[in-house]
Amino acid sequence: MASVELRDLTKRYGDVAVVDDISLTIEHGHLVCLLGPSGCGKTTTLRLIAGFVEPSKGEIRVGDKLVSSPAHSMPPEKRNMSMIFQSYALWPHMTVAENIVYGLKLRKMDRDSIGKKLDAILATTRLAPLVQRYPGELSGGQQQRVALARALIVEPETLLLDEPLSNLDANLREEMRFEVRRLHDTYRYTTVYVTHDQSEAMTTADLIAVMNAGKIEQAGSPEEIYDRPRSEFVARFIGSSNVIKGKGLDATRIDFAGTPLRCTGEAIKSGASTPVSIRPHDIAISAAQRQGENIVPATVVRQVFLGGSRDYMVEAKDGTQLRVLTAAGENIPQGSVVWLHLPAERCRALSG
Amino acid sequence: MKGSKISRRNMLVGASALAAGAAFSTRVMSAAPPASAVTPALIEAAKKEGKVVWYTSVDLKLSEQIGKAFEAKYPGVACKVERTGAERILQRIGQEYTANVHAVDVVNSSDASHLVYWKDQGMLEPYVPEDVAKFYPAEHKDADGTYASFRVFLCIIAYNTTMVKKEEAPKSFADLLDAKWKGKIVKAHPGYSGTIMTATYQMSRDLGWEYFEKLAQQNILQVQSAADPPKKIALGERAIQADGVEYLIFQEKESGQPVEPIYASEGTPLIIGPNGLFKAAPNPNAARLFQSYCFSPECQQLCIDIGGLRSVHPQIKEHTGRTPLNQIKMMKDDAVAVLKNGEQIKARYTKIFRV
Amino acid sequence: MTTVVSTAPIVRRRLGFDLSKPVLVTFAVILFALIAMPLSWLVLYAFSSKSGGFTLDNFHRLVTDAAYLDPLLTTFALATLAALICCIVAAPMGWLVARTDMPLRRTVRLLVTASFVTPPFLGAIAWELLAAPNSGLLNQLYRELTGVEQGAHLFNIYSFTGLVFVISCYTFPYVFVLVANSLDRTPGDLEDASAILGGKAWDTARRITIPLALPSILAGALVAFLQAMTLFGSPAILAMPAGFHTMTTKIWSLFQFPPQPELAAAASLPLLILTVILLRAEHVVLGRRGYSVVGAKNSEPRIVRLGRWRWVMLTVAMLVLMCPVFLPYFALLNASFSKVASHLVWFNNFTLHNLHFVFYELSATKLALRNTFILGTLAATAGTVLALVIAYVHTRQAVRGYRLLGFLATAPVAIPGIVLGVGLFFTYTRPPFVLYGTLWILLIAFVTLNMPAAYQQLQSAFKAVHPELEDASRILGATRLRALWQITAPLLRTSVIATWCFIFVGVIRELSAAIMLFTSETKVLSVLIYDLNESGDLAAIAVLGLLMLVLTFGIVALANSLKFGSARRLSGTP
Repeated sequence: MASVELRDLTKRYGDVAVVDDISLTIEHGHLVCLLGPSGCGKTTTLRLIAGFVEPSKGEIRVGDKLVSSPAHSMPPEKRNMSMIFQSYALWPHMTVAENIVYGLKLRKMDRDSIGKKLDAILATTRLAPLVQRYPGELSGGQQQRVALARALIVEPETLLLDEPLSNLDANLREEMRFEVRRLHDTYRYTTVYVTHDQSEAMTTADLIAVMNAGKIEQAGSPEEIYDRPRSEFVARFIGSSNVIKGKGLDATRIDFAGTPLRCTGEAIKSGASTPVSIRPHDIAISAAQRQGENIVPATVVRQVFLGGSRDYMVEAKDGTQLRVLTAAGENIPQGSVVWLHLPAERCRALSG
Repeated sequence: MKGSKISRRNMLVGASALAAGAAFSTRVMSAAPPASAVTPALIEAAKKEGKVVWYTSVDLKLSEQIGKAFEAKYPGVACKVERTGAERILQRIGQEYTANVHAVDVVNSSDASHLVYWKDQGMLEPYVPEDVAKFYPAEHKDADGTYASFRVFLCIIAYNTTMVKKEEAPKSFADLLDAKWKGKIVKAHPGYSGTIMTATYQMSRDLGWEYFEKLAQQNILQVQSAADPPKKIALGERAIQADGVEYLIFQEKESGQPVEPIYASEGTPLIIGPNGLFKAAPNPNAARLFQSYCFSPECQQLCIDIGGLRSVHPQIKEHTGRTPLNQIKMMKDDAVAVLKNGEQIKARYTKIFRV
Repeated sequence: MTTVVSTAPIVRRRLGFDLSKPVLVTFAVILFALIAMPLSWLVLYAFSSKSGGFTLDNFHRLVTDAAYLDPLLTTFALATLAALICCIVAAPMGWLVARTDMPLRRTVRLLVTASFVTPPFLGAIAWELLAAPNSGLLNQLYRELTGVEQGAHLFNIYSFTGLVFVISCYTFPYVFVLVANSLDRTPGDLEDASAILGGKAWDTARRITIPLALPSILAGALVAFLQAMTLFGSPAILAMPAGFHTMTTKIWSLFQFPPQPELAAAASLPLLILTVILLRAEHVVLGRRGYSVVGAKNSEPRIVRLGRWRWVMLTVAMLVLMCPVFLPYFALLNASFSKVASHLVWFNNFTLHNLHFVFYELSATKLALRNTFILGTLAATAGTVLALVIAYVHTRQAVRGYRLLGFLATAPVAIPGIVLGVGLFFTYTRPPFVLYGTLWILLIAFVTLNMPAAYQQLQSAFKAVHPELEDASRILGATRLRALWQITAPLLRTSVIATWCFIFVGVIRELSAAIMLFTSETKVLSVLIYDLNESGDLAAIAVLGLLMLVLTFGIVALANSLKFGSARRLSGTP
């Protein structure tokens, strides 16, 4: 097992850079999520790592081995990696068992070892009763587990997963998320996981790299990405942040709807329009007038009772609408004037 | 009409009735009707019908030209020529009449026995054109006036002069059995061609079936129509034809192709191709008009000049450069015997040549 | 192969009034008349003696008399060899165009389509012009180049080998199309999955690509076998000069005077039975193993880089295509403008006489063209409508008993053309339906023969239109018919046009049923060409053949232009 390192990696199709100058280091034994909307270049990045695509610029190293560069690209079959495809890519003409042991047979392993490994992986993935079935006879979740078993049994240096859960229904997806994490904790392969689902990334990843338009916008632990987004894109894509805009007053404050708002995060340039993110549940709402720092007056546009909480839409003086989540008991009727408290440590100034 | 007695029966009975025709009866009919001239009334009536359908086994180009010449002479009456091998004409008419389809007006077959058969089935209409009554010898017209010898020609050996030298060319049917001709002979099939049916009868009678058994060892190229071998030797596909129509050899030779006829020393099969018209003809007047035209000196001369055929009409002129009929040793024609033995000839031939 | 992930069929029974019975009955009766009646008569005849009583003699003769046994064995050998050759040649070619970066792949596909629509009997005649041992153009060239003696030849088309070759030329497109399409649809992921697990190119090919293509190869081989077995034109043209019969030519010769319809019927049955058995066997062989691709999203197929071999492979492919396309077309073109078909045309011997003869002197040309056009249009229209209704009823399960309709529509797949011809002849030469001698009997034959393919094509088109699209229209207030007309019909337009053209082209090239059923008034182009071949009028055939090809390609081009036009408009529909 080894680390995977991407250096200035670029892939162009014609004039379009699908992957645009990416650098990323994946520590040995870590699970990294490439997270982003469709078309952001995450799958291409994965296929670059796998060796199905050759880079236009930059290089990929596994351990201290150079595996991809524009001059030379090691073919996928030599990289000792495994991959789980979005479509699972199960071979329809082979049984579950044949699918799973395929990689071992290619490695010319003897029958006994193959049998032992098969039994072990079947137990882990709970597939034992299905070994003689053909893929066409399995449910989506079962197919997914076969794909997983097939990828894991070869004990790869690197495991690549391309949206492995996107074809499952919601309940199963949730269950499988933890399954992936559990298996990763068991085997600790260096893993690259591609997904567009932020909660999937949150549950599984050690490190999340948020991608947009071929670039990595921000890479960090799930907590870091969630709590301290650095760009408007990341703030909006991860969770559902309010992003408000105001003119910079000094290095830590902006002017928002006539109120000076102290923020953390990026340094603010005075005079420049600066985006600031704050999550709905971090905002406090009060019908009684309040005084102090970061208190913004607003009007309730609508509010919905959600059972465990209450969802407000409020409008500041400059017309900016903000979502606020409060405890269910906090019932302020529509049209009321309210005072919002936006705690300074929760207001993240973002880079332009 | 009488022929419908077949058509009303189902296919099964119809087929056996046709088969039974091989042992046809020789019942005597009333004598031929008086000669009919081409009258303006006939032409008018034909024009009303607008067309005539002629099933013939004469070579495509000649048959189409006769049709065109007829149309030119009688504008307003189209001539639809339906050319195929004589044996297939017999099959086709049989099939059509069983299904009560009466498409054919006038028929011409290079297997004279077919006319005997149709007449015997009561399918032919007695009609004697003026020319036939006046000029045609008795042996070339039916006593009951249902058909007459529209064309006469020979079924001959021929060779390609660029492939075979004149001195080396075969002189007789027996010469064809020489080992040096192995793989160089093309031959037509009695199952499809009336010419070859007739010729096969005459040759098997005069030379014996052993001749064919030996010929079958020569790796012949088997084609269907008797019109095909002359084309195959003109193309140079084979050097020699064991049988095939004489008139196409004339046509090819006179248009500059390297072919040459041979009249075998054993005698050459004589083929008579009579024309007859059907009782159930859909265009009866046009049929009469066409039948009269076919036997006119004009049409007969066309057959000779363009077609390379022979004619028994005394008013026509033989073509220079062609050996006159009276200088050729011929085998004797016997339509009745062909009719009697037809089925057996085909079966035996198929057995020997395996197709 | 289709994706198994499809929405479960939704059973619906919500017609305002019950149309289902009359619709089902009408179409069942039509299909029954088309298929069951001819086959019943065929079987009846096969067990009849000349006098009409029951007998097994016909079959006894079939298996004891060498005159019938030999053709049976010959046909079997012929079909097996042709199918083998087709697979060996077509499967790699299909792979080349679907999975490699060989240049001109589209052109190669187009040329295979050309050989697909070329009538096999025309190909056979063209190959006579090319490879007749003495006059054949290729053999002339060979003698010219090597200086060997007259009579020596390289090819002899009048032989069993020659016949196998010519038949293979025009059946290999079946294998090619099936293999290429299946490779097109096999997701690249399946091969990538093998590569990432350590499979080298050859391992992946051997364990994944080839096994996945196997069902299509098998299906292709089967179709090729059935085609070769039931073809009439090519053997009739080449086998007789070579001195042997196949089953189809034998059946046809049994209608020579004096006709032996009982024997012909008995001789037809083995072809029919063998076809049914082989079609069943295909299912058994494939078994439980799923060959349809699992998973929803298809990824792009993986392209193999051939490197320097690209051009070598293209040359090989073009050499293969010489046989069914370039050489025969050239031979026909040459013969059209030549005084003697076996001479190469040059400025000094160029002639327009053949054209003049065909268009101005040959009286059958106009009639045959007219009949072909009428039959093509009628058969295509009737066949499309029939297939459309049955496909709709079947996919939407609109009436009870829809399965029966589907079965009846697919059944003719098992009926060889000449067998159907014989059956139809028995059926429609007797009261109450005396159709022999009319265009109707040919229409019935053509519609029946083309029904399975048309039905399959439209059925898969219907499957691709999700019923919810119709439902969406109906919930907004459209009636069932209106929804069909405004929503489903436009979405199906491409397939309907394609089906129509497919049948039309099928009618142009059909000979084996037509040869049994035509009369002088109902002659079609294919039969005219066959008749001309009998008397060796090669020049006229060449002209008519080219005319036929122009007509065919015109229709195909028209279909394609319409198809691409509407494909652009409709892209993005499910």
